[in-house]
Amino acid sequence: MLAVAALDATMLALADPTRRAILSRLTTGEARVTEIAAPFAMSLNAVSKHIRMLERADLVSRRRAGREHYLSLNPRPLDAAADWIEQQRTFWNHRLDALERALAEDQD
Amino acid sequence: MSEAPVIRIARRIEAPAERVFDAWLDPAMIGRFMFGTHLRDEQVASLTNEARVGGRFSYKVIRGGALIDHTGTYREIERPRRLVFTWGVGEEQGDLSVVTIEIAAKGEACELTLTHRLHPDWADYAERTQAGWTKIVGDLAAAVE
Repeated sequence: MLAVAALDATMLALADPTRRAILSRLTTGEARVTEIAAPFAMSLNAVSKHIRMLERADLVSRRRAGREHYLSLNPRPLDAAADWIEQQRTFWNHRLDALERALAEDQD
Repeated sequence: MSEAPVIRIARRIEAPAERVFDAWLDPAMIGRFMFGTHLRDEQVASLTNEARVGGRFSYKVIRGGALIDHTGTYREIERPRRLVFTWGVGEEQGDLSVVTIEIAAKGEACELTLTHRLHPDWADYAERTQAGWTKIVGDLAAAVE
């Protein structure tokens, strides 16, 4: 996936409090789907939809062991998103510095 | 929050709003403040734009032997206070991210706010959350390090 397209998928996946709570839970380590679903006042099916969206964004991986499904966090898309934001901020800050210099030169 | 930019930078610039605005649409100025050997290790190949709503720009530089095109389409041109264009680099589709430049005249100076956000649909989702996006991403990334 292209960088921005992948980032878009990451952001969409993060754009929901339930999904962010699931990710926060997974920062403490691998967990079963049923454990993940337990704190939420919604059906297992509804939680599963959120989990699938996180899987599509490559933020969550699933491992099957017998009848249990275990989920774990994949931090790479988060790092990519954080990197992109930092790179863009640096890029535009530098360009605005250069804009100020160019305008000041013209005024002299 | 009414909108949730990925990146927002605000600063005061000691030049009139009109001059600051025009710089963003003038290829000669683009070659001074956006691209060039004086800014980074790159050479300008071509800087072209069609400065009208719906018009496109293409800023090509050679970096590390590769030709990199920065492309986009102008969405709003309201001299001297507001300029909106899509922005993509290299293989990226230009319409996946949007840059908005707002300029407020302050006498002989002005205040410029640059906002760079992802796909416009994304802002609708962002409105539903109270937390800043940069913070969410940063916190989660930090939590897993």
